[in-house]
Amino acid sequence: MKILKRYGALYVMMVPVVAYFLVFAYYPLVKGLQTSFQDYKLMGDRPYVGFTNYNAVLHDSTFWDAMVNTLVIGGGILFFSFIAPLILALSLNEVLQAWYKKLTQMILYVPHLLSWVVIGGIWIFLLSPDNGLVNMLLVHFFHISPINFLSDPTLARWIVILLTAWKEMGYTCILFLAAIVSINPSLYEAARMDGASRWNQLIYVTIPQLGNTMKVVFLLNTLGVLRIFDQVFILRNPTVASKLDVLMMYTFQKGILEIKLGPAAAASFFILIITLALTLVVRRMTRFDEV
Amino acid sequence: MKNKLWLTMSTVAVAGTMLLSGCGSESDDSNVANTGGNAANAPANAPANAPAGDMKLRILDANIGGKTPEENAKFEAEIKRLTGIEAKLEKPASDYDQKVLTALGSGEKYDLIELSDLNKLASFVDQGVVSDLTDFVTKSPVLSDPAVVPAGEWDQLKSKDGNIVAVFSKFQGGTMPIVRKDWLDKLGLKEPKTLDEFYNVLKAFKENDPDGNGKNDTYGLSTSGLYDIQGFMSAAGLKARYVMKDGKRTIPYATEAAVPMYEWFAKLVKEGIMDPNFVTNDSGKMRNLFLTDRVGMVTYWDAWVGMFNSMKKTEDPNTKFQAEALESIPGADGSILMRRGDPDFWIIPANAEHPDAAKKFLEFWHTEPGIMLGSLGIENEDYTKEGDAYKLTPTGTEHNMDHGVPFWYNQNVKYPFGKLPGVQEAQDLVTKNATLELTLPTWPDAEKIVNDYALKAMSGQMDAAEAVKKMHDELLGKKLIDE
Amino acid sequence: MSDRFERLGWKNKAFDTLNALFLLVLMLTMIVPFVNVLALSFSSGTASMQPDIVLWPKQFNAEGYEIVWKSLDIWRPLLNSVIVTLIGTTLHVLLSSLAGYVFIYPRLPGRKLMITFILITMMVPQEAIMIPLYVVNKDLHLINTLTALVLSGLVSGFSILLMRNFFLNIPHEMSESAKIDGAGEFRIFLTMYLRLAAAGLATVTLFEFVGRWNMFTAPVMFLSDSTKYTLQVALKAMIIDTSSNSGTYLVTTNVRMAGIVISIIPLLAIYPFVQKYFMKGILLGASKE
Repeated sequence: MKILKRYGALYVMMVPVVAYFLVFAYYPLVKGLQTSFQDYKLMGDRPYVGFTNYNAVLHDSTFWDAMVNTLVIGGGILFFSFIAPLILALSLNEVLQAWYKKLTQMILYVPHLLSWVVIGGIWIFLLSPDNGLVNMLLVHFFHISPINFLSDPTLARWIVILLTAWKEMGYTCILFLAAIVSINPSLYEAARMDGASRWNQLIYVTIPQLGNTMKVVFLLNTLGVLRIFDQVFILRNPTVASKLDVLMMYTFQKGILEIKLGPAAAASFFILIITLALTLVVRRMTRFDEV
Repeated sequence: MKNKLWLTMSTVAVAGTMLLSGCGSESDDSNVANTGGNAANAPANAPANAPAGDMKLRILDANIGGKTPEENAKFEAEIKRLTGIEAKLEKPASDYDQKVLTALGSGEKYDLIELSDLNKLASFVDQGVVSDLTDFVTKSPVLSDPAVVPAGEWDQLKSKDGNIVAVFSKFQGGTMPIVRKDWLDKLGLKEPKTLDEFYNVLKAFKENDPDGNGKNDTYGLSTSGLYDIQGFMSAAGLKARYVMKDGKRTIPYATEAAVPMYEWFAKLVKEGIMDPNFVTNDSGKMRNLFLTDRVGMVTYWDAWVGMFNSMKKTEDPNTKFQAEALESIPGADGSILMRRGDPDFWIIPANAEHPDAAKKFLEFWHTEPGIMLGSLGIENEDYTKEGDAYKLTPTGTEHNMDHGVPFWYNQNVKYPFGKLPGVQEAQDLVTKNATLELTLPTWPDAEKIVNDYALKAMSGQMDAAEAVKKMHDELLGKKLIDE
Repeated sequence: MSDRFERLGWKNKAFDTLNALFLLVLMLTMIVPFVNVLALSFSSGTASMQPDIVLWPKQFNAEGYEIVWKSLDIWRPLLNSVIVTLIGTTLHVLLSSLAGYVFIYPRLPGRKLMITFILITMMVPQEAIMIPLYVVNKDLHLINTLTALVLSGLVSGFSILLMRNFFLNIPHEMSESAKIDGAGEFRIFLTMYLRLAAAGLATVTLFEFVGRWNMFTAPVMFLSDSTKYTLQVALKAMIIDTSSNSGTYLVTTNVRMAGIVISIIPLLAIYPFVQKYFMKGILLGASKE
């Protein structure tokens, strides 16, 4: 009773959100879970088949190849998509000319506005061995023969990882910047009073104050990391597919191309379960809940 | 369930309801129109002799209809005018396959669905989605007429039990090498027929400055990955995708006979005759290279021979540009292998509410008014008719005589404006030589392996013999082929 | 920050120069693709298909834009997009901040459980629930309505966690003292937290606005009535490539690129406003003392 009196209003505030998620996330999720235990035909009977779909997925070597690719590429994206915007935000914060800062912020956020189809298309063009800008520069300055970046299996994963980090860095950087502008200016004043250099202000004021935001960004990145799809779909080609095809690509192939909706659902739930486990680890590690 | 959902919903969107009611009510009327055919009391199988005025049709399609909402509405009105059927055309913007799956899986009821993938058709048959149309087709005076659809063509649309389960929506062509005829003439070369002649022509395109701009900036050949090298692989008698041999699944591209072919490509790549981007090209890029004097030969659809020619003609009436279709290279025994594209076709889903209207529409689609609607478009909008003579309006010219049916089977219906230059010759090659590819359900998995090693061998990253061996072993290991 | 100028020694100046250069190089990598899109969109049809356009159009003209404009009847999809984006974003930001606010109470019973409840919604691969989601929309009679698009992603764990994070930066004592003065939770939330987290609010609004504007899967799945299409969907429908069959439509590159430019201009236009709120956030931060 006491709890209700103290926190009642807060629970009421949660009601619309909880109701929304129940209808538009949990109900479909449960239905999806049901699919994964069915021989799911588009029409007619859909008998329950126990763990058959899960078994089929687990015994499919393509699934495990996709798993390895996802973990490697996902790990890379997790790292670079965290570090790059952070460095960018700190660097931007040190820019003293307001106009340059504004301009940079604005331009760095443009790639996020363009879809992967466009960004991918442009980079495929820039990286092409024939007339591609990157190769033209490399050939001109280093006198090497053109590199076929996109069909080189040793480079493929790096290209996906770095392009993803590059595309989203200006955007994620906004989060860090928003957190930086919210830092209480008196903290900097106090530091300057103590004679702290810019570097020391960065280390002892800015970065510690960003702790919460870093946790959030890292957690948010973790949640999406197994679901990377668009960039892979655009940047893949047959010579590098075996290095790039990720789990979502696998479910896409099973579900949409082969119309095996049961196994596709089962694979999706593996993705969900692994994400759940990863998130748990990240939550523990960052002590996300102990704020 | 519905009630539960509504109950939950009513607690959602505290502030939302008021704001949303604005667009909600606006959309309600159209909803009625959309699901109008779904009234619960409508019998599942309306009698065949239902008066035409009551006939309704809900169609899901990828290519047919207007490009804007207005044009689509006019298209529906034209169907009503010509057949008396109240049709509702739904043409998703993209991700068509996913849309079809979602709609079917959630019990949405359509009367006609357009598809263009035989492997999907087979899966749909397995999953109980498709109605058997054997009786309808064989008894239909229109569709059973071999002048409307050649009898042998129906084999493409048969289920594994031999039932006809779909009806063509247009005539589908094939792909082939397309060459710059004007470049051949300029360099004093003849149409190549053998592998060596092809090599010489492609080499000359690379080295002899066929575009005359004084720069060494041309390539002999470009493709979009393995799409579609059939014209060359034919020289070694290799058919793309699966071939059944004594009841066993084989993939000719993964046999030793393919080694010299991959080596041939590797030589082209090494000597800079082949566009180095062929691995990453999409077909759009490949087309663009061809149109802009960068490459002398590509592999693409028959219809595009005409498109290429007409595009350049529109741009410059005096252009010398001339694209021409080439026949595949004959194998040692003289046989020629060419690729025929999977047909575009209609199915009537098993849960269709107006199968009779759908059947009526299918017959209409293969008669002259239907064909003109699918090609030229809407009368008095895209074209006018005086007596027997058709005349295109400016709108019609813009729409390019393609509203989903650029080409058709029915020999009684003439092409009112002929075909674009070069198309007829290309289609003759298809009719003469081309066969469908066999796409088994395991193909998506197999394709990855074939593509991977074939392209590595072609681009010279891997020795051809080694690549073929690895390809074959991997296919066998994953049980994607039987020998 | 301007008072920091006074302290600039040569080391600082060198650092500033290097820093500015670093950002300049980075900016260039981002400008090149965008300028490339612009250059292609302003080239003529056939010129745009040549591979050598990088930074400057060839045979400069606006034909691409004319074609998009003419064949799209752009006002209706534009209006649909604006309606869905404005209503959707407003409700989204409001509901998500509401939930975000709840989570700043560390001792709220059930808090961990509720966070987990929300986190799980963020892990769901959309493909897995596509069919059930369609069924929900169908049962609610939302298929072919713009309401379906407003409701799609009406709340997201992403925004809730972000708002919570921004609220956490506001000193807790403020709400405590307001409560002693007899203010209720809703009033504290509306008059205090929403105002003080202006920078955060601007961020989430920006994120959601961009996300909704570019929303693609939901409209494709839930709408098949082309009068309800949003701008993204209408554009995609127009520029779709049908290489899988022998269709004879050709959309030249300039048209495609013009479509892209048209679709991102509104996004670029709202950015300065958002930036203004960042600055406001600083001012509010300053006034906190």
